[in-house]
Amino acid sequence: MIVLPLGIVWFAAVGLAVLDGRRRAVGVAATIALAAGLAATGWLGVVVLRDGPLETVAGGWPAGVGIALRADALGVLFAGLSLGVLLVALVYELLGGARTRSFPALVLFEAVGLTGLFLTADAFSFYVFFEIAMIAAYVLTGYGERSRQLRAAMIFAVVNLLGSVLFLIAIAALYHVTGSLDMATIASRARIAEANPVMITGAVLFVAFGVKLGLFPFHFWLPAVYTGTRPAVSAILSGALANIGSYGLLRFGAGLFPRELELAAPVLLLLGTASILYGALQAVSRRAPDEVLAYSAIGQVGYVLIALAVGGPVGYAAAILYAVVNAVNKTLLFLAAGLRGWTVGAAFAVGAFSVAGVPPAAGFLGKAALFRTGLAADGTTTEIGLVLLVFLGGALSFVYMFQVYQRRFWAAGDGPPTQPSIATRRALVLALAGLVVALGLWPEPLLAVSARAADALRQGAP
Amino acid sequence: MTLILSLAVAVLFGSGAYLMLKADLIRVVVGMVLISNAANLFIMSAGLTTGAAPIHPLSAEGTVADPLVQAMTLTAIVISFGVSALLLSLVYRVYTSHLSLDLDDLAAAEEREEAAIEQDAADERAAIAERAAADGQATADERRVLAGAANRGGDR
Repeated sequence: MIVLPLGIVWFAAVGLAVLDGRRRAVGVAATIALAAGLAATGWLGVVVLRDGPLETVAGGWPAGVGIALRADALGVLFAGLSLGVLLVALVYELLGGARTRSFPALVLFEAVGLTGLFLTADAFSFYVFFEIAMIAAYVLTGYGERSRQLRAAMIFAVVNLLGSVLFLIAIAALYHVTGSLDMATIASRARIAEANPVMITGAVLFVAFGVKLGLFPFHFWLPAVYTGTRPAVSAILSGALANIGSYGLLRFGAGLFPRELELAAPVLLLLGTASILYGALQAVSRRAPDEVLAYSAIGQVGYVLIALAVGGPVGYAAAILYAVVNAVNKTLLFLAAGLRGWTVGAAFAVGAFSVAGVPPAAGFLGKAALFRTGLAADGTTTEIGLVLLVFLGGALSFVYMFQVYQRRFWAAGDGPPTQPSIATRRALVLALAGLVVALGLWPEPLLAVSARAADALRQGAP
Repeated sequence: MTLILSLAVAVLFGSGAYLMLKADLIRVVVGMVLISNAANLFIMSAGLTTGAAPIHPLSAEGTVADPLVQAMTLTAIVISFGVSALLLSLVYRVYTSHLSLDLDDLAAAEEREEAAIEQDAADERAAIAERAAADGQATADERRVLAGAANRGGDR
């Protein structure tokens, strides 16, 4: 049953890879496959939330020998989120017509990599799925094949390959320290293993995921890449691919090495704060919408890191919630920034409100959870500092998002100078904005799921 | 043995990192290949055990070598092979569109593109302003284009 979402998308990806993706039928088939994968993930999610985590060992091997797939609330939530983002981006691009024959298949391969990564219980399969997702993303970054996109793809591929190699080294080190690749076994053995090697491995893992996420000291590649790519691809990179980083930090940090995470909390707080302030200040000083959004992405992941550093049930739930809401926001904003017309302006405004954390947009939930996290931190200074930081970050994001809004949708006066965008694309973006508002107005399901996911993390390992 | 292996990993990784910092894209790719091989060697050296070959009817006496390390390294080799091929094809595409493999040339091309876009916007503004001066007053339509051009000039 866990294999179902993975299998549907995987077979479809392999099949469609040999067909011409510019043809309408192929695009429709890819959309149907991705939607089916999403539906299967949703069904899996319902079962997992009702009956608890599911586990299968691939190939019919006895448990402990074969490679295990495992679906718990956290994995299913991220898998559903990523598939949803990919589906929206795919439909968005297909409405204007795919430009290369490989585009639909690449999006499906990306979906395979991400779903597999979120549903595996084995550290090495995690690496393999991670590479599938990354390789698809390298090719997707070059999508459009203009010189800007090629330069972006080159930067993205080289920097992220380095991150992947670091991750591989960390996995090898983990195997050396704990003698296992199964995540649950690693978690239980890491608790009794010698502290130093585990700490160093944890640090390497943190760097690897920091590169994926674009956290402050590892962010240098991010603006060049996000501004160089086409809107649908930026949406995929920031809405789906960046989930690897958040999920990895949660799964490996909070799930496998809670002791080391606690030790590293001051460093994480510092880096998170630096990320938030650096991202927000750079974003305020930029003019081009995609550049502002790229720096905003650096700032937003800082919040996830801070929530993770505070830890505990409140902190983990806030980190998960914020990562989910941020992915949806970024998808909406990158897609809306590529379009013109007043309806798109409204959708962009919803996204902007959401990033700034103004109710009723979904971003308010994330900010509220962070305030709660700030109050849960120990020590009055940290408490006050965190609450002030979240407030300041929110205020700055309000400023930069509305600078973009003003320049993009107001300054051109009535009637934009270029032709208005395709109506169906605008409708899609508007629907996404509706989803953001709906999540903000009816937050209970998302809150409950993220609390469940945080529980799944804290009950020891996957 | 451990010392030799770790020295080899360090030298491979170090030379790879050195090559990656070069301005020539082919060297960057070669550096990447060296670094992935450093990682492969690291996996081998982290889990290397001596013993009988791990083939199914296991010999009863003596230890058996750990097959998992070799399986992992093989997978990693295959992945890094695919990634190197992808990187090389990407470098080739960059070459066909820029006719250069030098990062300084690429940066210069980027600046030229930005400048060209700025110049277009400025030209458009100047042309409209000129015509407006000739006609006495710009039409509403032209004013809108003017505002749009100023906006786009700022964007890019």
